[in-house]
Amino acid sequence: MAVAQSIAINTFVNRVDAWVFKQDWARAGTRAWGRNLRLGWEWDEDAFPTNMFAHPYHGGLYFNAARHNGLGYFESVPIAFFGSWTWEYLGETYRPSLNDWFMTSFGGIALGEMFHRVGATIRDNGARGRSRTMRELAALPIDPMGAFNRLLRGQWKGVGPNPPEHDPGSYVLRLGGGLRFAEGLVSDSGIARMGAVVVDLLYGDQFGQEYKSPFDVFSARLILSSNGGFQALRASGRLFGSNLNKPTARIRHVLAVNQRYDYYKNPAQSVGGQSVEIGINSRWRFGSKGYGVRTSLFWDFVILGAIDAPGTGLGERNYDFGPGAGSRWEIALERHGARFLRIGGQAEYVHTVSGASADHIIDVSGIELTIPIAKGFGISGHTYVFNRDSRYSDAPRDRRDYSEARLMLVWTKAGFK
Amino acid sequence: MRRASAVALCVVATLWSTAAPAQRPTRPHRGGLWGEFGFGPGLVRVACAGCTNVVSSNGPTSHFRIGGTVSDHVLIGFEAFSLLDKAFQFSLDVSTSTAETATATVVILWYPGKRGLFFKGGVGVAAGQYAIPTSATQADTSTGAGIALTFGTGWDWSISRKFAVTANVAAYVTAVGDIVVPGRRVDDVIATMYQGSIGFTFR
Repeated sequence: MAVAQSIAINTFVNRVDAWVFKQDWARAGTRAWGRNLRLGWEWDEDAFPTNMFAHPYHGGLYFNAARHNGLGYFESVPIAFFGSWTWEYLGETYRPSLNDWFMTSFGGIALGEMFHRVGATIRDNGARGRSRTMRELAALPIDPMGAFNRLLRGQWKGVGPNPPEHDPGSYVLRLGGGLRFAEGLVSDSGIARMGAVVVDLLYGDQFGQEYKSPFDVFSARLILSSNGGFQALRASGRLFGSNLNKPTARIRHVLAVNQRYDYYKNPAQSVGGQSVEIGINSRWRFGSKGYGVRTSLFWDFVILGAIDAPGTGLGERNYDFGPGAGSRWEIALERHGARFLRIGGQAEYVHTVSGASADHIIDVSGIELTIPIAKGFGISGHTYVFNRDSRYSDAPRDRRDYSEARLMLVWTKAGFK
Repeated sequence: MRRASAVALCVVATLWSTAAPAQRPTRPHRGGLWGEFGFGPGLVRVACAGCTNVVSSNGPTSHFRIGGTVSDHVLIGFEAFSLLDKAFQFSLDVSTSTAETATATVVILWYPGKRGLFFKGGVGVAAGQYAIPTSATQADTSTGAGIALTFGTGWDWSISRKFAVTANVAAYVTAVGDIVVPGRRVDDVIATMYQGSIGFTFR
């Protein structure tokens, strides 16, 4: 059923593009299939948001077609690759795009599993009436394949037990809205002011629960801005975890292997990619009220990343693709997982395999402070500096930096076990 | 004659694997620390940005895998693979170049049943080296490094509790960036390799 649904997704999307949007590239027949199979992979020239967000979201549909037909995380992985491969070879007249296959498959797995769990948390099989309908509708854009399969099975109304993913155990949801101050964003000089919305979600707590299944613990951050809209999405989910000392110890160290999805778009860096990271999360607890200090130190392998490279790229594309490696660190003051003071940084190296012949080093560092002012509400200030250093074999070196700050009213809802 | 020999070999192999149940280990496939090396014929197809056609060529391949056991059905390991072609043809007028593409990947082997059938998937890094002789003793060499993705399937035939012969069919998709050959720059090279191999597995 999962394979059939992934083929149905491709057929539906292809026919909508061909019949409704009159796209010539969607009119792929046996001649195009034969040519694609004969010529094989190439790199495409799609826009950054298309390749780095739309395709991973599409890949999430394949993955969740499998997840909602009884397959686990690892069993669903081949379905994401299969769905993307068949689309690339059979769904378009263009030659199959290797970057699409990577981004749709790996990104689809990361976003798909995260959306699957968020959807399951929003839905409640025990709810009835309008509340039930509203929950199902709210989960629809996040997990369309889940909504479709539930509709097929009459689960939009049927009352029954919830899946294990419904209850994350511990969680922290923080919504922030306010102003974003960015240097050099609108004009070359001066500081521009615009609106910003930040959504942070911590699903599960690696110190509160033993490793059970992939993405049983994940974190996600979404940043929207009145200038440019979708500015950032980052998700990092635990693929494997293991205690390095006793779970009852006051100082805890946990080894984690995470799958990570990154998407950032700002004047210094349009950066995104699919990564796997390994590292150690530690926690020092103070007193009995849940306060503590958490630290993270991770090293990552960027399976395929993308970074903007003006004047270079490929054809109409103005960014490069390549694998890489990097690290990130964080120190945070927290209570039950909700951070009040957070200092962190991340550095990545990307070696281009499509686009300019170049090596890119990017780094970002920042501080976030949240001061509680009333039950659940607080004032939050963020400041970040983004740097990039691109070295080209046949073009001048490109060094840029960009800084921004945010001042927001935040609302935090947390649960812990 | 060659086909008859191949059929006979298959029959012998099948009889061997089905007629010796007493030798089959409790766990039907690899367990604990395991290693495999193998070799066989390969096909490489090289595409690049702006290329209207692909260059295909044959060459010998070899691989080495080592790893451990995650569960009864899932193994994880490291795999090194290479394909070497000493008569690689970048273009019609250049047929004496040597092309070598190698990958180093983390692989997952999934045994869906209790027999020797397995599926493989992995991701890692790739390197490509292309050498075009400029004289009897010298060559222009261009190298590239990038990403690798591999998929495949295979079958472990148990020979003894500690040893198996493994048949593999696999595809390797690699992207190694730009390759500069005399008089030509080949942009954004993607080399796709297909391998059929026989491996020797110690488990």
